[in-house]
Amino acid sequence: MEGRVADPPLPNAMSQREIADGEERAGRAWADALVGAAAWALPTAFILVPLLLFLMLGFFEVQGTDIAYHPTLKNYARFFRDPGLLSTFLKTCWLGLKVAAITVVLGYPVAYLLASLGGRTKYVVAMFFAVPLLMSYIIKIYAIRSILGGNGFLNRILLHLGVIEEPWTFLIFNLNAVMLTLAILLVPFAILPIFVALERIPRNLLEASADLGAPPLQTFLKIILPLSLQGVVIGASFTFVLAIGDFVTPQMVGGIEGFTFGRVIYSQFGFGNNWPFGAALSVILLLPVLAAIVIADRFGRARYAT
Amino acid sequence: MMRLAAPVQASLWTVAAFVLVLLYGPLFLAIFFSFFAFKANQVQWDSFSFAAYAKLADNQRIIDALTNTFVVGVTAVALSLVLGTLLALYYHSGRGRGRDLLQIVIYLPFLMPPILTGLSLLIFFRQIDFERSLITVVIGHTVFVLALVYRNVLARLQTISRSLIEASLDLGANRWQTFRYVLLPQLMTALLAAGILAFALSFDETLITLLVTGTKNTLPMWLWSMMRLGFTPDVNALVALVLAGTTLLCLLAARFLTKP
Repeated sequence: MEGRVADPPLPNAMSQREIADGEERAGRAWADALVGAAAWALPTAFILVPLLLFLMLGFFEVQGTDIAYHPTLKNYARFFRDPGLLSTFLKTCWLGLKVAAITVVLGYPVAYLLASLGGRTKYVVAMFFAVPLLMSYIIKIYAIRSILGGNGFLNRILLHLGVIEEPWTFLIFNLNAVMLTLAILLVPFAILPIFVALERIPRNLLEASADLGAPPLQTFLKIILPLSLQGVVIGASFTFVLAIGDFVTPQMVGGIEGFTFGRVIYSQFGFGNNWPFGAALSVILLLPVLAAIVIADRFGRARYAT
Repeated sequence: MMRLAAPVQASLWTVAAFVLVLLYGPLFLAIFFSFFAFKANQVQWDSFSFAAYAKLADNQRIIDALTNTFVVGVTAVALSLVLGTLLALYYHSGRGRGRDLLQIVIYLPFLMPPILTGLSLLIFFRQIDFERSLITVVIGHTVFVLALVYRNVLARLQTISRSLIEASLDLGANRWQTFRYVLLPQLMTALLAAGILAFALSFDETLITLLVTGTKNTLPMWLWSMMRLGFTPDVNALVALVLAGTTLLCLLAARFLTKP
């Protein structure tokens, strides 16, 4: 019970004296319940209830301008019958996987370099890779758009250097543009977990491996890589989840071709104005998200145990 | 980690440099155009000036957006610090499934894609007939950064020895005094670091805000509405200032984080 010191002060009705005389146990139980209820109150009101409402809304339908509150599966049936929607969903998942792959491929060498640096330097350098996460999302996308565009800076430089003769147009207003932009925006999310995983590898394992005669490459493949896989999986699921849910990036660099599932959902709450359908589509989006979280969690636990 | 062979190290640095260019290139482009004009598809190299910065002070809409962003950020940080600390103390004070479940609920808005967090709040506010305004934005941001504060405080709490608390109680301090004079001083740097990070996150939060915002705009919302028109040099100037501010905040946070 010593730990409960930290609880918020009890209300007056439950004063220390009252607990002390006679019914100490009952008093404690009451206090426990009260504190527990207080702790649950706000997270329930502002996280749990909204989420449950959201999940429920998908089972109703719009009639005219109102929502009819009779449970139905129509929204889900509509999704599975619409080949366009289904293919957008699959394309978005594939896009998320590609973004996850790019960020991990770029992120792993960076994390590895960071982990090999000495003492304080590594954290300072690591910060340089993390800080852009906090910097103007919209501005970055806008700038990337002006770099990738047909008349953009990348094309100008390449034309100027004579590398290409016609400006590249396949880099903007399609799914490639969305993929590249998301990869650039999200790469720190891959670097950081991998860095943390590499940091956790006990040094003596590496020394033992070297002492026993393993060349560096073997030590990397047999020890470092398997032990850092946890970070890779966590980083990949992070970027995957954020990539498939984004709707601002595809809207800004995707054009008409770069239509993603996030945009479809967002449009149901805007021009489409079919909230229940949007909610149902969100539930479908939640499936790959949950899969990614579960996989990351499994990997996380399995590795901690060793 | 082991010492790396020179060629390995060189190739790792090459990748790292490439990633840095990817990360910072777009940002420097914005800063660049806060100093130079871009006319008729050409960079006007002779147009270097601070004029865009001077014009910032006259743009009432930018100032309004900036003020709103600060108000939202400070309020959301204050709320999440109090709530996050109380929840971390609660989780730390005992064991059980209930507490683990509560912890998952707290983490949810941080784990889900922002579109899902934002939409569930949007639907919630409509169901209870609560008009969208800066208040709903504050709630959205608080829910989002709560997990960060909670995690930071809990991690620090777990490093504090229980015997300190027992000693305080044995010496006659009540619970409040124990919290105020024993725990709080130890939590201070964790709270500061979490507060700064939470503020930086709130300052740039776009996806949730877009869904729960009313008529008054925060900075990212204003930038989003400006997108179609293209950005004027004063927007770039603003961005440059914001970037400088963010960097400063992060350096501060890093100081508090690395100090035990």
